[in-house]
Amino acid sequence: MKIKSVLLSALALALAVGASAKSVELLNVSYDPTRELYVDFNQAFAAHWKATTGDDVTIKQSHGGSGKQARGVIDGLQADVVTLALAADVDALYDVAKLIPKDWQKRLPQNSTPYTSTIVFLVRKGNPKGIKDWDDLVKPGVSVITPNPKTSGGARWNYLAAWAYAKHKQGSDDAGKAFVSALYKNVPVLDSGARGSTTTFVQRGIGDVAISWENEAFLALKEFGADKFEIIVPSLSILAEPPVSVVDKVVKKKGTEAVAKAYLEYLYSPEGQDIAGRNFYRPRDAAAAAKYANVFPALKLVTIDEEFGGWAKAQKTHFADGGVFDQIYAK
Amino acid sequence: MRTSSLHKFAPALAVLLTLAPIVQADELTQVREQLHALEQKLLVLERKQEIKDEAAATAAPTTPKLTINDKGFTLASADAANSIKLRGLVQLDSRVFFNDNGILNNAFVLRRARIISEGTFAKNYTFQVVPEFGGSSVAIVDANLGIAVNKALQFKLGRFKSPVGLELLQSDSWTFFNERSIVTNLVPNRDLGIQASGEVLGGKLNYTVGVFGGVADAASTTNTDFDNEKDVVGRLWASPFKDTAGSPLQGLSFGISASFGREKTASGRTAGYKTDGQQTFFSYAATTIADGQSWRYSPQFDYRSGSFGLLGEYVVSTVNVRPSVTGKKAELQNKAFQLAAGYVLTGEDSSYAGVVPKTNFDFANGTWGAFEVAARYANLKIDDAAFPLYASAVSNADQATSYGLGLNWYLSKSVRLTFDLYQTKFDLAPGSPITSTNAVLRQDEKSFITRFQLSF
Repeated sequence: MKIKSVLLSALALALAVGASAKSVELLNVSYDPTRELYVDFNQAFAAHWKATTGDDVTIKQSHGGSGKQARGVIDGLQADVVTLALAADVDALYDVAKLIPKDWQKRLPQNSTPYTSTIVFLVRKGNPKGIKDWDDLVKPGVSVITPNPKTSGGARWNYLAAWAYAKHKQGSDDAGKAFVSALYKNVPVLDSGARGSTTTFVQRGIGDVAISWENEAFLALKEFGADKFEIIVPSLSILAEPPVSVVDKVVKKKGTEAVAKAYLEYLYSPEGQDIAGRNFYRPRDAAAAAKYANVFPALKLVTIDEEFGGWAKAQKTHFADGGVFDQIYAK
Repeated sequence: MRTSSLHKFAPALAVLLTLAPIVQADELTQVREQLHALEQKLLVLERKQEIKDEAAATAAPTTPKLTINDKGFTLASADAANSIKLRGLVQLDSRVFFNDNGILNNAFVLRRARIISEGTFAKNYTFQVVPEFGGSSVAIVDANLGIAVNKALQFKLGRFKSPVGLELLQSDSWTFFNERSIVTNLVPNRDLGIQASGEVLGGKLNYTVGVFGGVADAASTTNTDFDNEKDVVGRLWASPFKDTAGSPLQGLSFGISASFGREKTASGRTAGYKTDGQQTFFSYAATTIADGQSWRYSPQFDYRSGSFGLLGEYVVSTVNVRPSVTGKKAELQNKAFQLAAGYVLTGEDSSYAGVVPKTNFDFANGTWGAFEVAARYANLKIDDAAFPLYASAVSNADQATSYGLGLNWYLSKSVRLTFDLYQTKFDLAPGSPITSTNAVLRQDEKSFITRFQLSF
């Protein structure tokens, strides 16, 4: 009996040892231009988590066009969290695969968008084509670089910003449609994501102007030199609110719910907000926003809700199969 | 007239001469613009191709991967989370016995012929099915499922080796000798059960704990449990110096295993303990049954240092038996130990998982593979109290002592030829006649076993 007790105790101990060995791994599936942001943030969060709980956490990153990334998660990519370019892509995780609850956006402050950004233009130094505003992008002979809205979240923001500009200027959605139709006639190549577009414009030397995430434009200046490119701020743009969410079904299966939740919450912490500002994302936190106020130009920003009735409607009208983009681009 | 004509055209000529550089400059600008436009077109075409290639490269990982090498055939999904592997093991033996007075047949034996199917699903779920076509009948050797929670906690369910004997746990293909030592007679072989195992402390400690149906010494389950009782089996295996590079102790691993259970059988306790030449030298009487507690423990070690390898284990197996259902109960304790060593003459590392030759045998190119010599000493002692009530004193040995010398030729990682010389000395049971009724025991068993093995 003694040996039996010892062996049963050993079993219990072994199971306890197995269960208490905490080395957690998270997968953050994100959109294209957030690589540098999350390299910084992951390092900070790992240190924070170690100090708070004593556990090690390793965060793996996956990047690509936002829509493509959402499709990957729906198809089985085991993302603990998604940090995508727009709410419609996160909505798809509920709509198609029920991986998250319908009201996912209510779980974190500011509709689960810990930082914002907007859309600006990146031109070559000296602005040889004299680009000043959206109207210049539809002029003959101007080559415009923007990614494919079917796969890229950034591209959808670009498209909607252009539409909103024309609508505001001429007062109708018809004007918006005509404007984006003319705009895409000047687009020689469609990359699948924003980072690809930056490569096309900056490294391959194609095009006269790139419609770009603000953070991506700043990063291009930082990485490739302000002597080669400059940022042009249009008269009107759109408030881009990239959302974040825990992927409930995955974290429950992997047992990573607590750390995944803490990971996203940490984005709202002073350190998380500072890292966002440092990486050219507009922080939500007032103190961090004030710290980086001189970095980000003031401009008129419209919102997706006001202009397009929210992401669900915009997605269906413009980017779903057979939507407006398919109609104008097919032509 | 001539002069006046010149005067007439002079202003026009002056205008032309003045405009010429402007026209040239315009043309140059035009050419430059055309060149720029052409260059842009070319860049766009190149970029489109680049995007196409990137998309193809991204799509490529969805293509399943087929791998064929000396570890078998593997068909795996692009992300390697799902795979099916086909391996095989064939062992053809030649057994020659010396000075046996003609009682044993020198024979060729198909010792093992296995097709091993293994697979992984969703990265963490595994299976293994191993049918045996060698020997005298077809049987399922292993059939089990695995669930990996993490490195520290993995579950195995089904039919597989009970984690007691060190040499038994080593693959058939890579033991120093072509037959395991007589010590393996005292440990359970394949059993049905569930076990948890894993490595902790950075892989310096491995643990295994399981609950099994319980089988007799050297026996495998018949896939049914013959009583209501279960065996609890555990093993701890430590490699404390594994990370101390350069230390002579780096290759030292040691541990202890144990099993405990109760058994009540309706028939014989064991099919018999066998010699290196696979002849039975001890078996309980057919009427003897197990009835009560049985337990085993086995301290064990394995040491590897460069080409040198040393393996040792000691097993104590205790069983409560009755000579018949109503007979007197006795607790019998059998003990065994072995010490085996190997040295790879050609300089490769000795390993519990087999020697990997630096070069394969290739006569045309003058390469010979790897050669290893091995030696072994083993002893098994039956409890004297077993005789004569529970086992016949006239047809059983009370003790067997075995010596082995071997030469292993690794033609490649997958192909091995072994040449092993064994001698087993028998001590007869107390009170037994000078001449045993078991002809095998009338002289030392001297055998020369050669094996051709293909294992992948």
